[in-house]
Parts: sequence; C-alpha cells; structure tokens
Amino acid sequence: MSPKNLVIAAAVAVALAAGIFLAIRSTAPAVPASALILPEPEPVPQFSLLNQDGDKVDQSVFEGQWDLVFFGFTHCPDICPTTLQVLATAKQTLAGMGQQPLPRIVLVSVDPERDTPEILGQYVDYFGDGNLGLTGTIEEIRKLTTELGVYFEKRGTEGDNYVVDHWAGVYVIDPDGKRHSLIGSPHVVDNYVRDLPILMDDR
Amino acid sequence: MRAALLLLAVLLTACGAPEPPLVVGELEITKPMPGRRMSAGYLVLANNTDEPLRITRVESPQFNSVEVHETTITDGVSRMRKLAELTVPAHDSVTLQRGGKHLMLMGPKDLEGAVTLQFFSGGTPILSVNYTFPEEGDQ
Repeated sequence: MSPKNLVIAAAVAVALAAGIFLAIRSTAPAVPASALILPEPEPVPQFSLLNQDGDKVDQSVFEGQWDLVFFGFTHCPDICPTTLQVLATAKQTLAGMGQQPLPRIVLVSVDPERDTPEILGQYVDYFGDGNLGLTGTIEEIRKLTTELGVYFEKRGTEGDNYVVDHWAGVYVIDPDGKRHSLIGSPHVVDNYVRDLPILMDDR
Repeated sequence: MRAALLLLAVLLTACGAPEPPLVVGELEITKPMPGRRMSAGYLVLANNTDEPLRITRVESPQFNSVEVHETTITDGVSRMRKLAELTVPAHDSVTLQRGGKHLMLMGPKDLEGAVTLQFFSGGTPILSVNYTFPEEGDQ
C-alpha cells in the first residue's frame, strides 16, 4: 500500500467511525448511505484548465455551488455515459422534489488528447443544462487528480483506439471549493437522491 | 414467395420446430453521443445447444467495426478491455450490460433505419438480429 493509499484508507476509517458514532448518537440519523464525508475540508489544488467554452479556469471554478465531479472521457461508451446519466437523473429527481440547492455535474477529462473543449461541451450538454466540462494539458489535469488521489492511466496505444483506465467514483466539492466527500461506484440514482440533500446540508 | 416463407415459419414455430441454437434477448443499442462516433450494445445471448458456443466475431453493416468489450471495476477503478471472443455455455446465457461486457460499435455509417448485428463462430454465421431505435422521447 502506498503512503497515499494509507492516508486515504485512514481517512475512510475515520469517516466510517464518525459515521457510526453519529448514527448511534442521533435520534434521527441522517447518515449518507453511499458517500464518505472527508474528515478535513481541504481546498482543491491549484490548476489551470479550459472549460467547454475554451475559457481558462482555475480552482475557483469550484466555488459557489456544490459540484459532483466525475473523471472520465468521451470515447468511453459504457461507464461514463451511464454514470453521468445517473447523476443527471438524480438531479432531475431532486429538482422535482423541490430540493435546493442543486449540485452541478462536472466531467473532468482524463483524455485531453481527444477531448477538446468543443467535444466535451457537446458531451456534457447532452446530460442537461449547467453542466461543466474541464480539459486541458495532461500536466494540469494531473495537478488536480494526483492531489485528489484520483487514478487514471492510458492503456493500449493502437492509434486512436486506446482506452483510459480511471477511478470511477464521484468527488463532491462544497461551495467553498473544498473537498467534501467521495461517492464510490456503482452509482445508483436512489442513493444520490437520498444522500445529496444530507451532504449538502452538512456544511 | 415471402408470404409463403412467413407462413412456413409460423407453421414450423407452431409445430414446435427446434429452437435456434443462439437467441438474443433484451437488445438495446445506444445512439452515439453528440459528436461521438461510437455506440454501445447491450443484450442477453442464450445458447440452446448442448455445446458451448464461441462467438468470435460480430459485424454490423451499419458500423465500421464491432468489438466485444468488458468494463470491470476493481478497487474503484474502471477498466475497459477488448475480448477476443465470447463463450456462451451450453444451455446457459451471457448478459452484456452496462458496466460489464458490452458490444462496442464503432464508426456508424447509417443509423436512419434498423441496425443489423451478425454473430459469427469461426467463419460461420450463427445469428443475425435487427434492432430499431425507439422513437425520440420514447425511451
């Protein structure tokens, strides 16, 4: 186990312990079933990327709203659209229930070679209005993912046919632009509908 | 001629004609995402024979190429790999579904009409099925 993984494992253990403690203490337990709330709300690292309009953005792009951040790529026909669809459906459901605020859905490309802002824009727009796509140089994307402990790696290099292995979870970032919680796969609409109001009420 | 064949088919079915060796169920093909040139195919393949069926190739006239891929999620990491072949055990089925094994259909040519999928075992065609996209807003 690498030191980073140890840190994450420790964080997970602390979060679980805290969750159990709260669950026992509270008379009306509001503990997220699928999310791990991070013990320390650390800011996201500094980076410089492009949004889907091609505008330069930095870490402050995460300030001002709750963000559900997924790391994927548009050449992925299976898990990426499936996950984004779950997030979009959950958001729609919450909107229908009158939930305020609603989170923003963010796709950070782990395949900037092929994911231009334009391609990413068409992709995220497909899942609803107000979504954010981030791409840029591999170095800048790594600045974000390495610090967050998000794994991705390009595999197979037969021309344009490569795939990218990537962490399949969702990072929740709070309106201060700080890391709030992690939601692992598989992603289930009902879990999001149940947990997101609890998460967004936490800070 | 066509009507006669259809009648024959109906009669054969009615008489309890032997089941086809391979049956496809729950077929769904996604439309390519905006700006993308690939689709995913999901289905259940059932083998009615006493022998395992090896599917070594899938083709579609509506796509440049079709591959069988498998998404696995291990330790939270999603990986997609091409499978050289797909074996459907005797009297059993294999499910191709979201987040698992699936067809990767690349380079759409014409998606105005039905999509045909042809399954091969070695050089032998064993099954051909058609899929029609649902009407917009019908999904």
